[in-house]
Amino acid sequence: MSTAGETAWQRLDIRVVYQGLARVALSLPAGILGITVGDDPIWPLIAGSVFGVLGALGTLSTWRTTRFRITGQQVEMHTGWLARRHRIVARERIRTVDVSARLLQRVLGLRTVHVGSGEADASFDLNGLASEQAERLRRDLMPGARNEEIEQTGRAGEPQPGPETVIARLRPQWVPLNVIGVWSVFAVLGPVFALHWLLRPFGVDLLDTAHDLIDGPSLVWTIVVAVLIAYPIGIALQAATFVMENWNFTLLRTGDGPDTALVTRRGLLTTRTVQRADGRIRGIAFDEPLLWRWLRLTRTKVLSTGLRALGEASVGDILPRLRLGEARELAARILPDGARPLEAELRRHPRGALVRRIGWAAYGPALLSGVLLLFTLSGALPGRWWLLPLTLLPVTIPLAVVAYRSLGHTTGGDYLMIRTGALNRRTVALQKRAVIGWTIQQSLFQRWGGRMTVGIPTAAGSRHYEAPDMSVDQALAFVAEAAPHLTDVTRPRSAPEERSGPTEG
Amino acid sequence: MLWRTLQAIFWAVGVLGALTAIYAYAEITRPWLGPVLLILAVVYAVNITVMPTWRYRVHRWEATDNAVYALSGWITREWRIVPISRIQSIDTEIGPLQRRLGLATISVTTASSEGKITIEGVATPVAEEAVDRLREITAATTGDAT
Repeated sequence: MSTAGETAWQRLDIRVVYQGLARVALSLPAGILGITVGDDPIWPLIAGSVFGVLGALGTLSTWRTTRFRITGQQVEMHTGWLARRHRIVARERIRTVDVSARLLQRVLGLRTVHVGSGEADASFDLNGLASEQAERLRRDLMPGARNEEIEQTGRAGEPQPGPETVIARLRPQWVPLNVIGVWSVFAVLGPVFALHWLLRPFGVDLLDTAHDLIDGPSLVWTIVVAVLIAYPIGIALQAATFVMENWNFTLLRTGDGPDTALVTRRGLLTTRTVQRADGRIRGIAFDEPLLWRWLRLTRTKVLSTGLRALGEASVGDILPRLRLGEARELAARILPDGARPLEAELRRHPRGALVRRIGWAAYGPALLSGVLLLFTLSGALPGRWWLLPLTLLPVTIPLAVVAYRSLGHTTGGDYLMIRTGALNRRTVALQKRAVIGWTIQQSLFQRWGGRMTVGIPTAAGSRHYEAPDMSVDQALAFVAEAAPHLTDVTRPRSAPEERSGPTEG
Repeated sequence: MLWRTLQAIFWAVGVLGALTAIYAYAEITRPWLGPVLLILAVVYAVNITVMPTWRYRVHRWEATDNAVYALSGWITREWRIVPISRIQSIDTEIGPLQRRLGLATISVTTASSEGKITIEGVATPVAEEAVDRLREITAATTGDAT
């Protein structure tokens, strides 16, 4: 086992300097061009060149000051010129290792290694390592690579030992599933506007040109044509992005004995490796937005402690969009114990929950128009604007029914299952041991209807899951079943409830 | 209860006062602010007269050897349970108004921010005693690594 003092500090590759110089060489002519060509200086060009030069200087100073080393237990880096920073991350905390390269870096054979520990801030970038070094680092930092290997650096380059079970690989059929969507149009809008602003200083107005090209009898017609053109392009772009991001997608389980972990590798230009230790996995969830539900597609998430739910982009997402059946098969293999909690039959919630949802659907718009009516009466709003929210009713009431139909809960094996959501139906299977308490809510109407909302705080996933509107019996049974190790806890729990009975009246 | 009433009164005076001032000085906002003021006045009236008593009658808490329980709320009631083994920290907080009235707020934190228990308006000696006891129990119970 190496101590901190023995391992030598490493620094970034010398080619970073060439990269900086190349950037200066590329940016300067652009700036000069911006000043000399034309009567007025072309500001975007000048700004670009200034940024380029500054960026290059930044890269050089990073190269000068960055040192890092990997010991048996932790990764250390210190960097910074004016503000020095020393950061230490324990190796067992490392969750993601991304290797990426921009065009210029790629030409020079450089890579950026981004090490993430699952938290939004406790991570660092090593900008500018030789590609072989980066690859070796990626292997070293991932699980299964033991301390001894790091010391015998010669061997560490080889594929890591330990059994690997491949759970899933990218299949061509997945591509169309992940491309369908209403939002493809917007994938085109971004680049088009970027191009528009880029070309503007040169006197080319892209939007006007486009407008002239597809000019028609009315604005609506123009928009329809534009969307019709943009949609296929958007889909193609999304397909390309998907393939690039998920190239070589592999989900596998590595390690042996108790020390296993799930590892995903993917990406063509940016290789992203995410590992989730099995010991930290607390459950699994399916997300099904409304549109996908009709197509029977789902997104799979793993609930795991020590991973931020938000922040570091979608670390919880473990598989791309899949057919439900396929996702279920894979989910069973993803969970370390091979359970299939997400397929369990769910208990329906009482009728009252449906009534409550329809009530919400009705009084939401009604309340809104009531507020608007008040404003109309006080003279702030003219005319009949206050009637507008009522037109939402035909949308909200079916949604209420959908929301009710998706409610469900049950327990089974080591897991408890909850399903909720109207627009985005989410089925969560959480291990019972991950429950760290209960919050049970009852509003005035719920008290009259004998229903409760059970909230489950947990350290994994999004930290809090809720099963709204169970009947009181269901809720008590659910709590008792879900927490057998808390039985002594749940027993006296009903006591304060009964005690509060008299005050209720 | 007195504490909550005072708090509600302070809030009501602050918010309503500010809005009325705007209402009086800026004529242009009158049609917009009028209804808002009206509704807020009703809400605060209920808040001052009904809410504190109601809450006082509902709120309960208890710390046993296994868990901490709390019941709170008035229109919406909420039970919270935290098993002792999942407690991460225990805090006591005393605000200026609370100090005058000899009250304290106890908060029990867990690994999930949603699973936190806050017990407001406990008499200071009782709070101290409860926190001491909880500290002993938590020290005796081994955490189960969540």
